Amino acid sequence: MNKLEIDWTRCDGHGLCAGLVPDDILLDEWGFPVLRGREITAGELSDARRAVLACPALALRLNNR
Amino acid sequence: MITVDDTRVIGEARVLAGTDQGRLDLLRHRSTHGSLPALTRDDYTKLCEAVGLRGRGGAAFPVALKLQDLPARGVEAVVVNGSESEPVSRKDRLLLTRSPHLVLDGAVGLAHALGAPHVLIAVHDARAATSVREALMERDDRLAIEVQETPGRFVAGEARAVLSALEGGAAVPPGRRVLPTRKGYHRRPTFLSNVETFAQLAVLARLGSRGFSSTGLISEPGTQLLTIDGAVRRPGVIETPTGVPLDTVLQYSGAQAGPVLLGGYHGRWLQRTEGVTLQRPEVSAGIILALGSDTCPLGEITRVTQWLSSQSAGQCGPCVFGLAALVDDFARLTVGDPQGWHDAHRHLGLVPGRGACAHPDGTARFLTSALEEFDDDVQHHLTGQGCGRPVLGVLGGTR
Ligand code: SF4
Ligand code: SF4
Repeated sequence: MNKLEIDWTRCDGHGLCAGLVPDDILLDEWGFPVLRGREITAGELSDARRAVLACPALALRLNNR
Repeated sequence: MITVDDTRVIGEARVLAGTDQGRLDLLRHRSTHGSLPALTRDDYTKLCEAVGLRGRGGAAFPVALKLQDLPARGVEAVVVNGSESEPVSRKDRLLLTRSPHLVLDGAVGLAHALGAPHVLIAVHDARAATSVREALMERDDRLAIEVQETPGRFVAGEARAVLSALEGGAAVPPGRRVLPTRKGYHRRPTFLSNVETFAQLAVLARLGSRGFSSTGLISEPGTQLLTIDGAVRRPGVIETPTGVPLDTVLQYSGAQAGPVLLGGYHGRWLQRTEGVTLQRPEVSAGIILALGSDTCPLGEITRVTQWLSSQSAGQCGPCVFGLAALVDDFARLTVGDPQGWHDAHRHLGLVPGRGACAHPDGTARFLTSALEEFDDDVQHHLTGQGCGRPVLGVLGGTR
């Protein structure tokens, strides 16, 4: 199963990720991502990968366990 | 401010045995405790399992599970975490200054059993560091043993922050959640625990599981160290059997009637203390703070929140912004602004689980329980009249 994860020591609150996967990531009032925490379905996988690659701080990860 | 000279025992003195007569040098240590039997890794695991020993640094993780998680070979180091970063806690520096050999026995005995070549002792307090260094000169443990002073910030006491500091890096938790048992000191398997855990291990190795279980709870036998402070006549460190009633400890310490904060600044509030007993995980690192009834609870809570916010290592956005917002929310709520109350509830939902360490989670736990247990005071403050009591700083909270 795939899940998004954030390294909070890296995330700068750019908010790019939320634009790419709006169903999985919202932004809080300070501009930092709030993960929905649900599993990434096969259909969403390519968008989620794009978000991971787009993160300028290398803070976003897709974890599969 | 309490000193380490105030030590007391309810029941049997175990880890504090002999400390009422001052520091135990090697000779007094041996005559008080006897010598440490040489045990195998398997012996330690079985003993810890039999008595349900849990880490004494706050997280209360079962020691047997931690041992089982280590690989069969290649354990690099045993790390004694004596950074004691909870500002009120005094138990670990007390052990290190009064009974350093007991702590060393626990660490050295385990290092030999695990085949670990290094023992590292992270200490924040200068007196404690001197005491351990002096103790090391009296012994020959055939291991590389090092004492290192680490910074005293709250978050610097977190296990992975301590490892980072020991390796010469910054004393902040890394972004990835890795287990020290897998990737610890220099990315190698490491057994890390709190000072008291090692003292308890040294006692357990000598007494065996039956002797160890002659006092305390059936589920978690033995004794525990508590630090009591706040509105009490006799603050200090107490050794008690596990499961002792909170009221017994409060009475013994001459605590004023009133709410109690159990488990330190990341702990929970209790308005009522009858029927509450003290054991892990609830007591966490063993800190009990009595509030009394002469001070404004919301003002005290705001002060502690300010301190907690100042202790954020500044790495993670939701922790930095969230805790600062909560300080502001509680300050507004205290002067009667209902928006402060609403904002506090919203921010308490935004903080937990969103940092590299458990600091935001612990802070949220403390404040959520404050809003629950002090609801009457909150409602009173929201009428705009306050409670008329001054903020005495009973809980500490400022630097
Ligand atoms: S794009 Fe990266 S840095 Fe920006 S908010 Fe998302 S995770 Fe954080
Ligand atoms: S969660 Fe807070 S205290 Fe912990 S590492 Fe991040 S910023 Fe520092």
